[in-house]
Amino acid sequence: MRIKTTREQRILYFKTIFRWILYYVLIFVSFIVMTSGTWLKPVLLVPIALAIAINNNQYGSVVTGAICGFLIDIACGKLFGYNAVILAFFCIVVSLLFELYLRNKFVNYMLITAAVSYIQCRLDYRFYYKIWNYDNVERIFRKYTLRIWIYTVISAVFIYLVIKLINHFLMPKNHLTIEEVITTKTQQNQ
Amino acid sequence: MREFLKSTRFKILLAFLAFLVGIMIYAVTKGGYSVSGASFINTATKPFRKVSNKISMRFEHKIDKINNADKYYNENEELKKEIGILNSQLTEYEALKTEVEELRKFVSIKEEHEDYVLSVPCDVLGYVANDPFRSFTIDKGSADDIKPNCPVVTAEGLVGITIEVSEHVSTVRTILSPDLTIAAVCSSSNADYGIIEGSVKEAEKGYTKLSHLSLKNKLKPGDLMITTGTSGLFPKDYSIGKIKSIDYDTSGLSMCAEIEPCIDITRLTSVIVITDFSGKKEDD
Repeated sequence: MRIKTTREQRILYFKTIFRWILYYVLIFVSFIVMTSGTWLKPVLLVPIALAIAINNNQYGSVVTGAICGFLIDIACGKLFGYNAVILAFFCIVVSLLFELYLRNKFVNYMLITAAVSYIQCRLDYRFYYKIWNYDNVERIFRKYTLRIWIYTVISAVFIYLVIKLINHFLMPKNHLTIEEVITTKTQQNQ
Repeated sequence: MREFLKSTRFKILLAFLAFLVGIMIYAVTKGGYSVSGASFINTATKPFRKVSNKISMRFEHKIDKINNADKYYNENEELKKEIGILNSQLTEYEALKTEVEELRKFVSIKEEHEDYVLSVPCDVLGYVANDPFRSFTIDKGSADDIKPNCPVVTAEGLVGITIEVSEHVSTVRTILSPDLTIAAVCSSSNADYGIIEGSVKEAEKGYTKLSHLSLKNKLKPGDLMITTGTSGLFPKDYSIGKIKSIDYDTSGLSMCAEIEPCIDITRLTSVIVITDFSGKKEDD
């Protein structure tokens, strides 16, 4: 159990608030990037939502997942709420997985991101194109869906590093080191 | 002095001066052309003069640069500032020029079709991310009297239709989308009818598809297809695009054509929405 002083608690609150502000700045910037230009772009908000989910509790994850989902819907012109539902669901699952079974490692994050973004892209292809039986619809899968998925997975590497950097400075530590315990105890005794 | 005036030397010099005056008078009578001697000298010395002039100019230039370095430096700085100001003015001017040209085009729509009720020109906010059919959003919405299913056009031709309208933003589905079908007719013959409906393959090239053409059609590449206006969704006789190529449909029972839209749908910057026109189908 971590021993906290009042000053420590204040710093903790400040760091937590600042961390979440930075998360949402990153989300906002990614949304702007997604809505600019005419080229194919990675769905940046998927790896961001997942990266946040693996480092935070389920409540924060689900809200962030839903917000990212709504923003994807706006940027990609999808039914408002469609991606929000998908991403909120996956954020809860991922948050639980990392809390209970998986270690917070780069490889695990990449595997999870690759899987979730593939499912998201596949569902998008299925419900927005395949279901309507357009001629040559498989070309959309080959030329758009797969490329977007690959771009998303590649972009996840950079997003992981950015989130890792934010967490490195602003994420409160779960456990004290032996030295910290000794120092804190000594301070309390005095 | 008297001795000199009486000497032969003086007479020779005087004669020479007279000769020179004579040459001068002769030169005057030539009416602008050089006398042959001068011409010869000019020709003979030309290359040397050229080289020497070049050298001296370069030398003078270098000296001038050293002497007036401060002056040139200040002049350069002032000119740089002036160029900066002029560039910003030029940018503003170009932007205004583009805007005026676009507005002029939109005015021409109103002049040609008096029955149209047009929205104010709308800027394209951006294309919908990763959409194969190039849907895009515009910066006007229901606050500007735009409703769903309003035709979206430019002066050159039809662009698409509004599908989702919020107060200040609307989403436009383009004619590249298979979800939008438009009855079209050839403008020259006014006889060959077909249905314009986007397709996955054609949309990749920025084209759309004309299908259900009669086997006996007389269409040829370059023919302009226009709206028929029968559906009440689009105004009559509005340009859609030109035929690129014609081929048999997969069934072989009818023909289809590749249509190049009148405007490059992948590079739009501003459009206009026709909010009302004669023959418009009223919403239920």
